Amino acid sequence: MMDELLEQFLIEGRDLVAQVQGDLVALARQPERRDVLDSLFRAVHTLKGSVALFEMAPAERLLHRAETRLDQARRGDAVLTAEDFDGFVATVDQVDRWIDDVERDGRLPADAETRSLALAASLDAAERPAAVPETTGELPDWTAPIVRSAAAADGACAMAAFRYRPDPDCFFRGEDPLTVVRAVPGLLAMELQPAPDAPDLAQFEPFRCAMHLLGLSSAEPDDVRAAFRMVPDQVEVVRLRQGESEPGAADTAPADPGEGGGMLRVSALRLDVLAAEVGQLAVALNALEATAERAAVTDRALAAELRRVQGELSRALGRLSSTVAEVRRVPLQPVLRRLPRLARELAASLGKDVRFELAGEGAEVDKQVADAIFEPLLHLVRNAIDHGLESAERRAEAGKPATGTVRLSFQRSGDHLAVALSDDGKGIDAAVIRQAAVARGLLDEAAAAALTDRQALRLIFAPGFSTSQVVTDVSGRGVGMDAVQRAVERMQGSIEVESTLGQGTDIAIRLPLTAILTRLVTVRVAGERYGLRMDQIHETLRIDPAEIQELGHGRACVIRDRTVPVLSLAALLGHEDTPGAEAARLVVTGAAGERIALRVDAVGERMDAAVRERSGLLAAMPAIGGTAVDADGGVLLVLDLPELLS
Amino acid sequence: MSIVVESDIVRLVGACPVEDAEPLLLALQDDPERVVDVSAMEGAHFAVLQLLALFARRIEGDFADPLLQRLSFAAPQPPAL
Repeated sequence: MMDELLEQFLIEGRDLVAQVQGDLVALARQPERRDVLDSLFRAVHTLKGSVALFEMAPAERLLHRAETRLDQARRGDAVLTAEDFDGFVATVDQVDRWIDDVERDGRLPADAETRSLALAASLDAAERPAAVPETTGELPDWTAPIVRSAAAADGACAMAAFRYRPDPDCFFRGEDPLTVVRAVPGLLAMELQPAPDAPDLAQFEPFRCAMHLLGLSSAEPDDVRAAFRMVPDQVEVVRLRQGESEPGAADTAPADPGEGGGMLRVSALRLDVLAAEVGQLAVALNALEATAERAAVTDRALAAELRRVQGELSRALGRLSSTVAEVRRVPLQPVLRRLPRLARELAASLGKDVRFELAGEGAEVDKQVADAIFEPLLHLVRNAIDHGLESAERRAEAGKPATGTVRLSFQRSGDHLAVALSDDGKGIDAAVIRQAAVARGLLDEAAAAALTDRQALRLIFAPGFSTSQVVTDVSGRGVGMDAVQRAVERMQGSIEVESTLGQGTDIAIRLPLTAILTRLVTVRVAGERYGLRMDQIHETLRIDPAEIQELGHGRACVIRDRTVPVLSLAALLGHEDTPGAEAARLVVTGAAGERIALRVDAVGERMDAAVRERSGLLAAMPAIGGTAVDADGGVLLVLDLPELLS
Repeated sequence: MSIVVESDIVRLVGACPVEDAEPLLLALQDDPERVVDVSAMEGAHFAVLQLLALFARRIEGDFADPLLQRLSFAAPQPPAL
């Protein structure tokens, strides 16, 4: 039970941290946004309630201080200053770290109390009495029917009851009392009650409101009252004693204000299973296609019928898979919530003054992408702050503002997500890259000189490449840009770099929004079948083996006037290489940055399949990107060509 | 038209605006036993809903709106007033 509660808290607590961070950024930009202030207050309040369920008293006290300060601002008793914002940011960063601590160690670190006191000083605000007096005595009579009806229904913990008695003339002012009530956060139950002076049917006037609305909410009375801010004189809100509607069980669950009905939290694992099942369906459909082809030999009419059925199934599957893709789409925000904090910590450890801007983080991507995107982005942000941005003195010499800017933005464009990371640092010097590449023996001087600046910049993605003269404990030697590229390619995306010397660097990543079914082509090598991803392949072709020439230590052939190295896939996979004398079948890939032709024994069918991440024993084999189930039900190993060729 | 009045049934269709309150009230005053069919109603102004809550003796169909589904409608007796 405790574990489940903790698990839930780790998810919801971090969601709330992300929301607080987002609201703080929005509010700092537009301090007049009352709705953002309200949302921020609610998120801090709910977070306080959540941490209170665990041994996190310092966090609770800190959040209480922040909440009090925000409440003063909401009431117009205080204006938030830059110091307040700094205090809020430091507070939420600290709570975020403590959530990590609780996940890892099951408790707060020893210095939590000290840190809490230090931070509280930055949030010093006079405590104010609670706005709604606690109801300790009897509840008003009017609450009885609604509390009774809610007790019979499902009961999350009701915190507040309200009675809304709309002005009889409200319809004439264009008001709709139901719309007002819909805005009540955490609405648990609602009842309609005729006003005592409601006329009978014969006397009734259609445009006079003659009913009262009673309701229960899981939110704080203050938050409920906020929903009625346009009609404050027509509503009464009371705080219910804890567990009034549902004694026991439910009152440990963190309240979830603002979430309307009809939302469901589904385990990510179940969605993965659902997506995999859809993938299996696609595989079965592939088998049907093969069956139709076989049937065509003996019975054309049957084959036509099979194709018709296949067509219908295929359309239905298309719709199903796009629905599943939609369900699997999650906002990036929770994934990115740590980035601003980590950027601030990193900048502080390097003694650099950095403004980290995040934009478009509300964009939604497939869960697979969301799960895999954090590491490469963190690496890029680290690189930008560590290697990209100059020290304050250097910036002053270059006539730049002392504060460096790193901006990370996300934008949906068609069926892709465009990720852009830019910094206003020193930029990357193509000449330095060329020299370093030559020094490391990656290419000779003539080849390096022949590269355009753009091509030279791409060398930073080469394995083990580094240009940093100083090893820092932050980014190491720039090792890992190749890992970033590989991670992006695993997500079926692409990465580009542009840089202007002295002005900064822009990195653009394109990622697919959906990544469930992968187009594969099967090949046969040394008696084994493997799957290759179609997006890693330029073309497949068949040539006379005589056209493959010995060249230096290897072999090559000419494809459309270009010399392309030829490698044996069998040899790469550790099989015996026995090239036949008959026509050679080649698969041309550009996945490793340059064109390479892989010799295979046969090229088989194409299919759409769900590729599962490698796991278990396969995880130790880097060349295997994952597995798919083919039409015969056999397991197909799907190769990761960039990895295999690196 | 979001309200259709027939001899023994009133059908509410789509989103019923405040203006629908008048014909609905007239229909119910004319024959309080008329059935009100809400199966095609997507939403309604509170002026319409209060008539359903106060005076409709028989409501047919389910509300599409989850909030309305949780309310108890159908007045078994005319209000005592």
